[in-house]
Amino acid sequence: MIQFSEEKLAKVREIIARYPEGKQKSALLPVLHLAQDSFGGWLSTETMDYVAGLLQLEPIEVYEVATFYSMYNLKPVGKYVFEVCQTGPCMLNGSDQIIEYIKGKLGIAVGETTPDGLFTLKTVECLGACGYAPMMQMGKTYREHLTREKVDAIVDECRQNAALNN
Amino acid sequence: MGRKLLIDKAQIEGIRTYEVYRREGGYRSVEKALKSMTPDQVTDEVKKSGLRGRGGAGFPTGMKWSFIAKPEGVPRHLVCNADESEPGTFKDRYLMEFIPHLLVEGLIVSSYALGSNITYIYIRGEYAWIIDILETAIAEARQHGWLGKNIQGSGFDCDIYVHRGAGAYICGEETALLESLEGKRGNPRIKPPFPAAKGAWDRPTVVNNVETLAAVVPIINIGGEEYAKIGVGKSTGTKLISACGNIKKPGVYEIDMTISVEEFIFSDEYCGGIPHGKRLKACIPGGSSVPILPANLLLKTAKGETRMMNYESLSDGGFAKGSMMGSGGFIVFDEDQCVVRHTLTLARFYRHESCGQCSPCREGTGWMEKILHNLEYGKGKISDIDLLWDIQRKIEGNTICPLGDAAAWPVAAAIRHFRDEFEWHVKNPVECLTRNYGLAHYADPLEAPATA
Repeated sequence: MIQFSEEKLAKVREIIARYPEGKQKSALLPVLHLAQDSFGGWLSTETMDYVAGLLQLEPIEVYEVATFYSMYNLKPVGKYVFEVCQTGPCMLNGSDQIIEYIKGKLGIAVGETTPDGLFTLKTVECLGACGYAPMMQMGKTYREHLTREKVDAIVDECRQNAALNN
Repeated sequence: MGRKLLIDKAQIEGIRTYEVYRREGGYRSVEKALKSMTPDQVTDEVKKSGLRGRGGAGFPTGMKWSFIAKPEGVPRHLVCNADESEPGTFKDRYLMEFIPHLLVEGLIVSSYALGSNITYIYIRGEYAWIIDILETAIAEARQHGWLGKNIQGSGFDCDIYVHRGAGAYICGEETALLESLEGKRGNPRIKPPFPAAKGAWDRPTVVNNVETLAAVVPIINIGGEEYAKIGVGKSTGTKLISACGNIKKPGVYEIDMTISVEEFIFSDEYCGGIPHGKRLKACIPGGSSVPILPANLLLKTAKGETRMMNYESLSDGGFAKGSMMGSGGFIVFDEDQCVVRHTLTLARFYRHESCGQCSPCREGTGWMEKILHNLEYGKGKISDIDLLWDIQRKIEGNTICPLGDAAAWPVAAAIRHFRDEFEWHVKNPVECLTRNYGLAHYADPLEAPATA
């Protein structure tokens, strides 16, 4: 059952209050982020319909936004999503090789999730970290100056965190 | 060397906090503006300063501000464009991450000038932790009386909210940004009407880049005339350059626009030269949308003059023989890099980021990507090169927004200056998969034109 807690509903009201009266549609992007983070890291149709109801929008108004912006996941993702930048300046500093390394290490292609549900690999466009390339985004953090060793360390770190939380 | 006005204090311990920022002279420009200047006087200082939009277009900021419509009883808005997504550009990130109060201070003064009581920062969604940093700084500013009702007893109300994007380069275009602020797909609007007349929720709106708004602080502190004395010609004040690619010291530098490109790349005060003893092959000086230049057209203009790091000099020669300051995303290529491959990554980028409204861009970007992919992987034909030229030419100028132009220009410049590299890929389909074309003649000095 997709439903925000009281605390999150209060956050939604706070977000809506930032915009002019009657313009609660402006809250859609921030609220979709909140929904995605709250309900498994992706936006199911059920989740999107719930958000539509909260903001008094037609479902299509939510679907068309969710499908436009690249940060919204429309399929389930792993616990840890590696979003590796592949644009020009990162390419000049070895991002292609890092992507190949991660694919080999995790045994998945770009866009796929490992069978244990832990890791999803996505390639993304410029993240604004060109001077610290190659790099990737993982949740709220940027992991920069990537090397094979750093990738190994990050994967280990994630596996340990996942084990601790089980 | 060179005066710094923006990030000179960015590495002071604790500068992210209100206490340290205030101690270092923060919020003085708010005091000065609210207590001793009218909104129009603030705009006048910005006009005198010669400040130009630092997001990439370089439009005179004071002039943009003076366009804002002021119908009675209709709220106006300032929106800060923190959607930094131009490949090679990470200078707004640095400013917001390390010295967020500078932006907050600049926003308050600018909001006062424009009559914006509710100001928004539209920030790209991927800068997730920076949103927390900004909201903390905003809360501190409010707590200390620099935001809220009747700021410092001036009668001016202002509040700032952060609006998080969700992954769309196109939302850095001001009208697409406004669409996104309204909760819609980032489809650019046809102009006119301009945001100054009808912007966010049809209200008069000014959209400015992070660095532009931060620059308002030193402009008010030292005065527009003093600011204009720094730099040269129409390149007044200081500019943040985010340097990346194949250099020893990538990072964000603040320059006063009187240094040469050569000094910027090779001096230890800036990029420190190219690592591993490699030679310079090419450079994109202002973010992926501006023309790439080979080394021999980068360091000297076609006339044989030293090329300088300012708006006029970087544009010397037009697109035929020059480039642009753009966003300041300075990307350096060493001799081992492949221009075809890099152009392919950019074509893929623009295809991914195209909003899809305009046929030339929507279809043209994907088509260029496919052709470049074939060329890079040894499956190209010689006619592909002229076909690419034709496609980019038919996108440029035929779209609602400049993303189409931005997609066309890198392909045009790569072919214009590096055609033989492209031809080599076609003529050597197997060899091009295992080695790159190299430096070739791209650093050989060009013949200076005969003087009269």
